[in-house]
Amino acid sequence: MKADLNKFPELNKTKFENRGKELRLGIPVINSVVIGNSIAVGFGDGTIRIFKAGQSSEPIKAHNGIVLCISKDGDDIITGGDDGRFLRISLNGEISEIANFGSRWVDHVTANNGSLVCTSGNNVYLWMAGRKEPRIFEHESTIGGVAFDSKGRRLAVSRYGGVTLWKKDYSNKWKSSNLLWKGSHNKVIFSPDDRYLVTSMQENQLHFWRLKDKTDSTMSGYGAKVKSFAFVHDTKFLVTSGSYDAVCWPFDGIGPEGRQPICLPFVGNKLVTFVEPFPNENAIFTGLSDGSVFLSEIEKSSNTIIIRSFTESEVTTISVTEDGSSILIGDMAGNILWTSIWDEENK
Amino acid sequence: MDSNKQVPVTVLTGFLGAGKTTLLNRILTEQHGKKYAVIVNEFGEQGIDNDLVVDADEEVFEMNNGCICCTVRGDLIRILSGLMKRADKLDAIIVETTGLADPAPVAQTFFVDQDVADRTKLDAIVTVADAVHLSSQLTDHHEAEEQIAFADVVLLNKIDLVDESGLEAVKERIRKINPFAKIINTTKCGVSLNEILNLDAFSLKRVLEVEPDFLESDHDHEHDDDVTSLSFVSDTPLDMEKFQDWFSKLLQTKGQDILRTKGILDFTGESDRYVFQGVHMLMDASPMGKWPEGKVRSSRLVFIGRNLENMNLKEGFENCKSA
Repeated sequence: MKADLNKFPELNKTKFENRGKELRLGIPVINSVVIGNSIAVGFGDGTIRIFKAGQSSEPIKAHNGIVLCISKDGDDIITGGDDGRFLRISLNGEISEIANFGSRWVDHVTANNGSLVCTSGNNVYLWMAGRKEPRIFEHESTIGGVAFDSKGRRLAVSRYGGVTLWKKDYSNKWKSSNLLWKGSHNKVIFSPDDRYLVTSMQENQLHFWRLKDKTDSTMSGYGAKVKSFAFVHDTKFLVTSGSYDAVCWPFDGIGPEGRQPICLPFVGNKLVTFVEPFPNENAIFTGLSDGSVFLSEIEKSSNTIIIRSFTESEVTTISVTEDGSSILIGDMAGNILWTSIWDEENK
Repeated sequence: MDSNKQVPVTVLTGFLGAGKTTLLNRILTEQHGKKYAVIVNEFGEQGIDNDLVVDADEEVFEMNNGCICCTVRGDLIRILSGLMKRADKLDAIIVETTGLADPAPVAQTFFVDQDVADRTKLDAIVTVADAVHLSSQLTDHHEAEEQIAFADVVLLNKIDLVDESGLEAVKERIRKINPFAKIINTTKCGVSLNEILNLDAFSLKRVLEVEPDFLESDHDHEHDDDVTSLSFVSDTPLDMEKFQDWFSKLLQTKGQDILRTKGILDFTGESDRYVFQGVHMLMDASPMGKWPEGKVRSSRLVFIGRNLENMNLKEGFENCKSA
């Protein structure tokens, strides 16, 4: 006779944990990036691991200290580290060094449409397709984040005092304009339709600009810094961490001004530390400070499914493969769950 | 937050040429079996090379609420948050500031930024001072005064280059600004590292332990810009409501001139000792257990700052005594 573990959910693993692969690495998970149906993860010991369906993932030593940032350029992984190196890593694990800044950290990396970008201190280094030498864009303060628009024609650089928006004209010259708002701006993203630019701030708030007319506004009311945010379902919602709920701001139609966000609650009063959209769905995965992860529809009375039970370490990354079939979850203590989302019979 | 999990951060200040680099090189090269990261500034002295040395630009950020006390060091937030993601845990972090830096935004960063406060703690501010030149630096540069005012430890370096009376004079000058700082005499920064690292100087427990080295000071000085200290003692219990009212108004209106405060307070009707310490307008305060048996209950309050004599501190404090 079996004990009824369902009466004690805290002792029970979720079906996702039971059928997936769990690693207890003890190394902080920094972030991850999706390349097709593979997911690359950067760690606090300078290694990365590449997760592919049905394969084991071996650590690849990339940086000497920490993988500070990870992104992709086509089918390649790009990373920056506290060893001052900006690296390209193929899905087969071959590493090539793009640039080396010595004792200065490479804080942010991104790429789009053949253009490759990293930042170190106050400078953006931009390699245009086929060029060996980067262009250098200098800024007055340390860069908090960088993002290309969908076509790779505009590059947003967040910093102290606002965002510098670099725009490429048709003769491939880059010109800058400023979007100003007092305070220090960190992560920056464009909305998928390129209509909005959103930053998170040193204060517990977000700021956004509507690029058409440069009107701007603040989204506040958070209990902590907003470190994770993303647009869902094209540009229907902006989902955000930093509160005890997953706060989802409506960005369709007239935008968020004067409208209330939808707040998705979770049991236990834990801070939301990571949010990740479910590709092509009006739904998100939410990671909490105790390591638990939930899947919710963005509705006023939402259905919520628990994906991972708690690990007592804050969720630092969630990635879903492009086909929406598998999910990877990582936390500060180095626990990883890599599992299929659908039951075998529902595939 | 479990304080054992917080990595201690030592802030190393001091004028150019005082000997900060000598000390940093010792910290990095001595065989101590510990893992220390050192955050240096770009414009500092050269000659430090190590895997765990991080270059930083000193960036002072104002928060968008415009509050002076929320001025923080943006570069520190970025680098400390990064270092906390390392797989191998650090035993301590040392932050070097440039000779002209104001220590307040560094200290305030540990109060204001929640991520920094969760994973690290301000251990102590250590100021390296040149025994030969400190007096003239204190006269010419307000930054030198601030660095002494904020210090938990003053490493008085190059004492071999001054005579005994010169040394006493410079020590008296330090004590007049900051009676709390422990003064350590050195030549070539020859000090045992456990005298400057892991001091836990910002914990309230330490406020109870450190007896200030008060001077019988007549509070006369050359000009109003001088940083000085004033202290008050009372054996009459204080009225909590009156004290809170006076003290919060004082910090709100004069917080920019008040650099550091520390105190142990005896409130009427309370069996616990109340301990606090602050940097400008930011305050850490808590009851810290019962008064020791057989010891006289008394309130002690110390201010380090500018223009203290124009704040009616004595009168304000007297008015807080229970009738």
